[in-house]
Amino acid sequence: MESAPHRPTAEEASAALADAEATRATLADRIATPSWFFVSLGVVIAAQIAAAAAGLGDEPALVVAGLAVFAAVAGVQLARFRRLNGVRLGGFASRVVLGSATAASVSYTVALGAAIWAGSAGRWWLVALWSVAGGAAYTLSGRRWMRRYRGDPAAHARGESLAWLALAAVAALGGVGLLVLGA
Amino acid sequence: MADLDEHVVAPARLKLMTTLTAVSEAEFATVRDALEVSDSVLSKHLGALEEVGYLRRHKGVRRGRRTTWVSLTPRGRRALRTHVAALRALIDGID
Repeated sequence: MESAPHRPTAEEASAALADAEATRATLADRIATPSWFFVSLGVVIAAQIAAAAAGLGDEPALVVAGLAVFAAVAGVQLARFRRLNGVRLGGFASRVVLGSATAASVSYTVALGAAIWAGSAGRWWLVALWSVAGGAAYTLSGRRWMRRYRGDPAAHARGESLAWLALAAVAALGGVGLLVLGA
Repeated sequence: MADLDEHVVAPARLKLMTTLTAVSEAEFATVRDALEVSDSVLSKHLGALEEVGYLRRHKGVRRGRRTTWVSLTPRGRRALRTHVAALRALIDGID
């Protein structure tokens, strides 16, 4: 290994590349989510949507509580993921947990908007329905991302940059602030 | 050896760097187990690649124990991309 590097033959190059890619694929296949990961994520997203819909009228503290519970569950689950697998995966944190994947962000926005509308109209059974739908869609999006990651780990491993996440967090907090103030 | 990177040309280093593209960072033992090498062999490769700026190491904690975490640097990613492209050209007979 430490001898002077030599120019590999086509066969050696092909074998080395295949071996390297197989090892990467094996590592990606071994990466698992902690127990109850997707269930807890779906439940906490559903609860957060319901809290936002219920709280915007009279109880803005409910909106903040929903976000705080989500942040706590997300933090705990990311720590468990890191401990379980011995890796940090930026794509997993942003696309699956923070919901920056297209399917998660679109379904979440639709479910949140519909639940808030239903709450303002006093249709609480619809709030429950949209909350559950939002949580389920978020979970399905996460599972889909895991399958795509295992298919092409290098393309999906890295998440958004810290600057992008900070911008999104500021925008989200600003939106919540406006909703709470306008309630 | 145009375009082939002398620091990555060893199959073990190609494997190490390629494997690290699957994660943002990995703990030492996770990389060692994936590559099926000994601690000393992995340490040697990590040291050599860190020296040329292709990866970085930092101390962290996992399961309550202090351990080492490893990640590719942007320079390392670029070097790997260039090296893999050169290998593919070699395989395709383009020289």
